Amino acid sequence: MKTLEAALLAAHDAGDRHALVTLYQQAAEAVSGAERAFFLTQAHVFAMEVAHPAAEALRAQLVEMGREEPL
Amino acid sequence: MTHSDLDSVRRPIATAHGLPNAHYTDPAVFAEERDALMAAEWAGLGVAADVPETGDARPIDFLGMPLLLLRDRAGVVRVFHNICRHRGMILVDAPRRIEGALRCPYHSWCYSTEGRLVSTPHVGGPGQNTATGIDRDTLGLIEVRSHLWMGVVWINLSGDAAPFAEHHADLLARWGEFDHPLHHGGADSCFVLDVACNWKLAVENYCESYHLPWVHPGLNTYSRLEDHYHIEAADRYSGQGTHVYRQLTGPEGQRFADFDGLSSKWDTAAEYIAAYPNVLLGVHRDHAFAIVLTPKGPGHTQEQIHLFYPEADTDADLRARNTAQWKDVFKEDIFVVEGMQRGRHAPAFDGGRFSAAMDGPTHMFHAWVAARMQHHRAQAEAAE
Repeated sequence: MKTLEAALLAAHDAGDRHALVTLYQQAAEAVSGAERAFFLTQAHVFAMEVAHPAAEALRAQLVEMGREEPL
Repeated sequence: MTHSDLDSVRRPIATAHGLPNAHYTDPAVFAEERDALMAAEWAGLGVAADVPETGDARPIDFLGMPLLLLRDRAGVVRVFHNICRHRGMILVDAPRRIEGALRCPYHSWCYSTEGRLVSTPHVGGPGQNTATGIDRDTLGLIEVRSHLWMGVVWINLSGDAAPFAEHHADLLARWGEFDHPLHHGGADSCFVLDVACNWKLAVENYCESYHLPWVHPGLNTYSRLEDHYHIEAADRYSGQGTHVYRQLTGPEGQRFADFDGLSSKWDTAAEYIAAYPNVLLGVHRDHAFAIVLTPKGPGHTQEQIHLFYPEADTDADLRARNTAQWKDVFKEDIFVVEGMQRGRHAPAFDGGRFSAAMDGPTHMFHAWVAARMQHHRAQAEAAE
């Protein structure tokens, strides 16, 4: 997890949104419930910003969890 | 400032005075004009070529208001207030391309390029992205009414002016023959002049041909004063035309292509019109230009000059020559508009008197300013 945190900070510093999508998805895989929703939200926002191909699926996941509205 | 000062501006040209000094120097009048002349009318903001590609976004400070010029996913040019609906944060602080959604850098509320609010992360608590009371349908970006014509993005900030095509029906009809796609000449066909004068002096100088023999002697060699005519449409636009436009010709005889379908009048005619309040336009058989005046303060104006052609592909050398030619002409005007600005600090100046024969277009603009200001003040008084 420490390595992931370091990678996330580095991606934030670099403004690398594509990497942030991937890293926040990885962070979400390791947790559940509200924490998972938090990381998926982070991934989803950056995915929307860069028109990442994962954006749609991330939103669908959040909608299914009752955390987001469909577009 | 009294209303009688403006009454004298609205008199027939032979007895009228020009606008009082305060209209050029007083910050309070400058602020009034922002509402009465710019926000209430169809004002020029920039050009569509400022955002050439889908997703291009350009922040523009317009009279102290943060606006955002943006080309949406479908290619439509839109203007928004450049603020997030959450905390009023500036959304875009430098020109850039929006790849997907426009994300506020503060709490990451996201908007589509059409202005729709599409994400409100953690708004209901961590990982909960919806909340009672946050109705996304009512919290999209605040759009400013806009219209494209002659390559220019026109905005009506108040939102209650007549539709652009109705407001400028006369001008659209006058230049109907130029209703073709205009191709911006690109990076070598635009430039900016920062001028130490009130924006209205740039309009006034542009309107009239009276100064041409004195300030632009180079033009006078082929375009004499008597070859010009006034263009006057009260409350909308004024300017000048010439009967002897001569095409630019390159060293090997190359010329720009003509706009399709022009009548023979345009073989040698060219027209230069100030569309009130702040857009100066010129049309010729083979090119057009637009000057958008952005007031930066009572005594400071930014002039954005853009040249357009009938075709996308034009001779680069000829294009550069044309830009340079116009730049020379517009720079020749700087000392007079800046000189008039300095002159507006002379307390004894009474607004000046007009030549009834030569200053009609300028007086028409002054009369419009005076009428709009009187209307604005009457409305403000009625609201008190």
